[in-house]
Amino acid sequence: MRIMIGVVFIVSAGEKLISPYQNFLYVIQGYQMFPSWGEIAVARIFPWIELITGVFLALGLWVEASLKTAAVIFCVFITVVGQAILRKLPLEHCGCFGQLIVLPLRTVILLDSALFLITVLLIRKLARSACFSLDNCFASS
Amino acid sequence: MALSKGKLTVFIIIICVIIVWAVYLFQMLFAKNIDPVLARSKGSPKAGLQIVEFIDFQCPACAGGSILLRNYFKQYPDQIHLQIKYFPLVRMHTHALKSTYYSECAGRQGKFWEFHDLLMDRQQEWSPLLNGEGVFNDIAGRIKLNLDALKACVASDDTRTVVFDEKAQGESLGIKSTPTYFINGKMLVGTKSLTEEIDAYFSKKSN
Repeated sequence: MRIMIGVVFIVSAGEKLISPYQNFLYVIQGYQMFPSWGEIAVARIFPWIELITGVFLALGLWVEASLKTAAVIFCVFITVVGQAILRKLPLEHCGCFGQLIVLPLRTVILLDSALFLITVLLIRKLARSACFSLDNCFASS
Repeated sequence: MALSKGKLTVFIIIICVIIVWAVYLFQMLFAKNIDPVLARSKGSPKAGLQIVEFIDFQCPACAGGSILLRNYFKQYPDQIHLQIKYFPLVRMHTHALKSTYYSECAGRQGKFWEFHDLLMDRQQEWSPLLNGEGVFNDIAGRIKLNLDALKACVASDDTRTVVFDEKAQGESLGIKSTPTYFINGKMLVGTKSLTEEIDAYFSKKSN
């Protein structure tokens, strides 16, 4: 499960990072939550946080910190998408995976909630979450 | 273990950055140039503000952008040059392709802008329909297009080729959404960025 969540982050971040940042900036602008400078900062920085978190989760490096970061990211997604639904913003899709996977907002909030719960469970069962991880190699050496 | 955890962390981050940049640069190597399209351009070709818009006629933001640009043209008639390129989002919009074919064929009869403006103004009317062609033909009739020639053109492979070639050109430039604008070569997506850039250009020019 930890590796699966890591892969989700890597795919999502990869789609954003290998295309011009203006595409993700447009997605963020749609949520109408930040001033212009904040939107640009988020569009530039956030995909890198997603990528590093995803890679660390997949490899099992700094598992506890990575899982906690993932939980925070899911909370942010749920808040951002939730406020868009409540404010009835005219968004055709969430933009989470660019144009790779097009998901409506209500589906995304369910998916993010499920992934958040799984991440919390993984944090609580940290010893089992650390199976097949680089952390274990360092612990045993 | 010979390698410390901290060093491995830094190494992995560096590898991630290198991979992302390598993929990005590799894609940019194959980016195509934006060919000029005379039939779908308006304003003075020597204008200081050169705008190329990649459009999907069914996208609501494109309709908003069209109104914005028309207002800018009224405000600064000789200072803007606009070209339209096709980027139909086929997976998202059911009428994206047909509306693009009709626009291209209106352009071949010399009436692209008349068709474009009415198509955008009436987007909310045809967008929810199962078949938008009734509205497209109505617009064509209003601007006095030759309907037989239009029908043949919409069905032709040549029209399809033009549209898909332009979409491929847009994809090679990294376009994912519409409306995407290139203002004096700078890529912008959406009407908020468009407004900010044009306002900044004219305020800089007036100072």
